[in-house]
Amino acid sequence: MGQVERQELRPILRAESVPADGIVVVRGGPTSLARVLSHAQRTHDAFVLDGQPIWGISVFCALDDLGGASLDSLLRRFASYRVVHLPRVSDLREAGFELLPTFGRPHYTVTLSGPDRAEALLAALGKAEPNPYHERRPGRR
Amino acid sequence: MVTVDITCDLMDEDETGYVWTFLHEARDPSLIEPGALVVAGDEDAPAIAEVIDIVEKPAGKIVHLRILPGVIEDYEALITRAVTSAS
Repeated sequence: MGQVERQELRPILRAESVPADGIVVVRGGPTSLARVLSHAQRTHDAFVLDGQPIWGISVFCALDDLGGASLDSLLRRFASYRVVHLPRVSDLREAGFELLPTFGRPHYTVTLSGPDRAEALLAALGKAEPNPYHERRPGRR
Repeated sequence: MVTVDITCDLMDEDETGYVWTFLHEARDPSLIEPGALVVAGDEDAPAIAEVIDIVEKPAGKIVHLRILPGVIEDYEALITRAVTSAS
């Protein structure tokens, strides 16, 4: 069976410095081991990095105090998630994960060396917290 | 319980700025066509989405989705209100 071609991520990476340790990372929840594996598998099936297989899940970093990359804006944007995981960049780094600046700011891909790291990533994401924007909204009666 | 039309990670955006997933993740691929409104995501985080396009990529057919604002209950309330008002 031939090898499936996948899209190369390198040309798509944003040229920007890595986010500071204190930056909050937004990941929709609730996340489970099965979900981390499933999302990482989808990334693996679609992309490569420098020609090599890649495993990863999407996150958004709250890079700014105001505007589309602020924590408030991201929580509102992802209102479909009743809970969110809000680790710091340092939590992911200390657990051995990298954040690749992929696609549009402030999207990142947290990369795993393989599916065997999914459990460690799940732990690093931390406890899920309620998303204040997933609630009763104006006009809903 | 919500039935999801196409499973995806609502945070998976690509270079188009839209959410992407594989067409084979659709419950019924015939529902997935440009302009269609579908339920995307998963049972824990469903969202109403517009199908933007289906593109052929090396790894397979990719569906791009524009996630509509708000939560699915907003749309349910809207329809209920509209139907009740009309009767």
